[in-house]
Amino acid sequence: MADESVENNEESTGAEAPKASAEAEGTTAVATDESAASAEAETSGDEATAEAAAAPVAAPARSIEPDIQFVREVIGAGGTDLKKCFQCATCSVVCNITPDDHPFPRKEMIWAQWGLKDKLVADPDIWLCHQCNDCTAQCPRDAKPGRVMQAVAKMSIPSLSKPGFLAKGVGNPSMIAIMAAIPLIIVGLAVGLLGHFNPPRGEIVDGKLEHAGQIVYGQLLGHWSIVGVFSTFFVISIIVFAMGIRNYWVMMKRHATEEGSPVTGSGAAQVGPVISEIAVHKRFGKCDETKDRKISHLFILYAFVLLFLATIASTVFTDFPLLWGGTGSVSPYPTISVVKLFGYSGAIAGIIGIGLIMINRFKHQVKVGLGSYFDWLLIIVIALLMITGIGSAAFRLGDIGVLAYPTYFIHLSLVMFLFIYAPFSKMSHMVYRATAMAFARTAGRDTPM
Amino acid sequence: MSDKVLVIGGGISGISAAVEAAEAGQESVIIEKNPYLGGRVAQLYKYFPKLCPPYCGLEINFKRIKQNPKVSFYTLSEVQNISGNEGNFTVTVKVNPRYVTEKCTNCGACAEACPAERSNDYNYGMDSTKAVYLPHDLAFPMRYVLDKSACGSDCQACADACPYGAIDLSMEPKTLEIPASSIVLATGWNPYDASKIENLNFGAIPNVVTNVMMERLAAPNGPSKGRIIRPSDGKEVKKIAFAQCAGSRDENNLAYCSAICCMASLKQATYLRDRDPESTAEIFYIDLRAPGKYEDFLRRLQDDENVTLTKGKVAKIEMDQSTGDPVVTVEDILGGGKIKKQFDLVVLASGMEPAGPGANIPLDIPFEEHGFIDPDRLADGIYACGVACRPDDVTTSVQDATGAALATLQTSAKTAATAGGNL
Repeated sequence: MADESVENNEESTGAEAPKASAEAEGTTAVATDESAASAEAETSGDEATAEAAAAPVAAPARSIEPDIQFVREVIGAGGTDLKKCFQCATCSVVCNITPDDHPFPRKEMIWAQWGLKDKLVADPDIWLCHQCNDCTAQCPRDAKPGRVMQAVAKMSIPSLSKPGFLAKGVGNPSMIAIMAAIPLIIVGLAVGLLGHFNPPRGEIVDGKLEHAGQIVYGQLLGHWSIVGVFSTFFVISIIVFAMGIRNYWVMMKRHATEEGSPVTGSGAAQVGPVISEIAVHKRFGKCDETKDRKISHLFILYAFVLLFLATIASTVFTDFPLLWGGTGSVSPYPTISVVKLFGYSGAIAGIIGIGLIMINRFKHQVKVGLGSYFDWLLIIVIALLMITGIGSAAFRLGDIGVLAYPTYFIHLSLVMFLFIYAPFSKMSHMVYRATAMAFARTAGRDTPM
Repeated sequence: MSDKVLVIGGGISGISAAVEAAEAGQESVIIEKNPYLGGRVAQLYKYFPKLCPPYCGLEINFKRIKQNPKVSFYTLSEVQNISGNEGNFTVTVKVNPRYVTEKCTNCGACAEACPAERSNDYNYGMDSTKAVYLPHDLAFPMRYVLDKSACGSDCQACADACPYGAIDLSMEPKTLEIPASSIVLATGWNPYDASKIENLNFGAIPNVVTNVMMERLAAPNGPSKGRIIRPSDGKEVKKIAFAQCAGSRDENNLAYCSAICCMASLKQATYLRDRDPESTAEIFYIDLRAPGKYEDFLRRLQDDENVTLTKGKVAKIEMDQSTGDPVVTVEDILGGGKIKKQFDLVVLASGMEPAGPGANIPLDIPFEEHGFIDPDRLADGIYACGVACRPDDVTTSVQDATGAALATLQTSAKTAATAGGNL
């Protein structure tokens, strides 16, 4: 090399030049042939990559039909740097959550770049991802795979939860006014038709005046009205989720078959193991970059568990006795009661959890980013839910009617927001992630914990 | 007015620029901070793709310097000030003391007597030398040098031991004013500090080395006398891995491709394969870059059954505690899933970082975002060449240096014409 150059420098003889150029021509000719051959090889190689990325068994070659609109949508939904990815697979290596078999998120990055929507929405891994963002922090190209995974997961919701337009609405910042208005109108109609917008104080129970002069939220919307209205929407969401789980399961199975590793067996056997895994947030604990998310997310999880238990307690201690002709306790429940204890502890856990989540987001802003609209919509709704819940109790006990009733009304509307949008908002991750976890276990490609 | 070209940096680019200019009749002078010329090339074991020793090419260049009275050089030197403009620069150079005079015959008596040691930067710190030492076997100038910062106070052992009176401990730094018509910046590169690559654990795992260290491990004048052994226990390396793009093409480290690492790793795989038919080498890559004729070299390695090329970047290295073996984690992108593999030694194909920004040259140098010099924005009469401008291999750097030499000739011609006009 250098000695060659030196020789050339020292004695750049004309006699050598023709030989050199002949050699160069020969090389060029070979290179041309090869580059054509390698271009071919590359094309088929790329396909092979896509196949291989999901299937060690050779799948039949097929052409790729990129959905350009889908690529644009992924970029628009937060995967802004998707196109920077050069497929080095640092992400799959630094991810502590991915199965070793067909790891994510490298394969999702190329599927997203190529607009392979069908593969992505049927991919269990987009929901298996826990948004640790170790990949985003370590990505040598700053392509932010974590955000792409999240954007793709968000975009898969319309294919799972029907009607899909609701998911698109919840995910679209310009639709916020309409989406927020719907639960407000539902609760407003309920109050207008079944309760009082300007509720009287105290309440008549069995012909007697109880809680004379006190704020009684039951007068805004009575116990049975709440049970009726909210249960209806709760049940609708459960049905949407059930159909979503089924849609997702069928899609994942078809995808696995297409990729050459068909999955047999039912996910039912995995429900127990998945729940017990979620109960302790094993996977969150494996995040490196955002380790602190395990604690904050556990707080939120158990806040909702406690609040759900409060509802169960109210059913047990109020609804059942009333139904069976008894005279169970009525709203407001005594401050020291099972319902209130669950409710208060849930609210405290919720405030701590959502506070930590917001703090963590800002803490990891530089390496991981603040998060998308989709995230913040849920974070803010939960934060407001907790604040208005505590506010309702405080204003009632402080007897500030002018604040108490509106706060309670907003609180009810936020609960309604969560209920009706659960299958369409980020809230749906609790169901689809669990489904993906069950599928991964069924497919035998679970990460050793 | 002076018609001299001052070249900052005495590596292969700087030497080439100075020698080419001198052979065209132009006086040139090289300013080099090391006690020897040859720079990074002097630290290589073999060149790709011919696999010949760089010492050979350097020797030819040293001969050209020795034979040509128009080339001069200063080692242990640094530029302190540059004033003037094209055709009429004045460069202030500080020449630090070598403490060893021309009387030195390289007998080595001084080093034998010397009680103090220093880390050997020529071997990237993998061994040490005495405080008075010969930089390397083919050091040019071929003369010992004393690193006084490593000496004990009032120690005179080397001076006392020298049979030729070649050691002068009272030597002081000298300041020179060198008039120059043009200046060539050939500041070259430093190996990227691999300990900055968070997930590869260089420094924490002894059997993870960088590619420049691998050159020294394989070289007969290296710390292991050319035996490819691993640092932790001296075990002969049988199973080697190369982690490509270690720090290069990485926004968290060097955002650019360092251009030579693919060829360097392919070449280094032959170091082991050529010695030991049982040995295996695995190269983990994102893309293998073997441009132009270098593709033949790549093909040679592809044809070797004991060399495996695996698409997927090494993004995690851990150590097996019982054996000290590094364990790499990669995703085998072509269908193998996420795998862990254990090796005797892992070589990080770490990249080149331009040395210009850290060289403290008292000049307003237009560096681009990564610290390479943008030659198009240099002031008149100032040129740059080699890896100071971009990551490149030796061949290209030499060609670039020749171009810079031509530019200095043009400056001289222009200056002479202007001077003539003024008369």
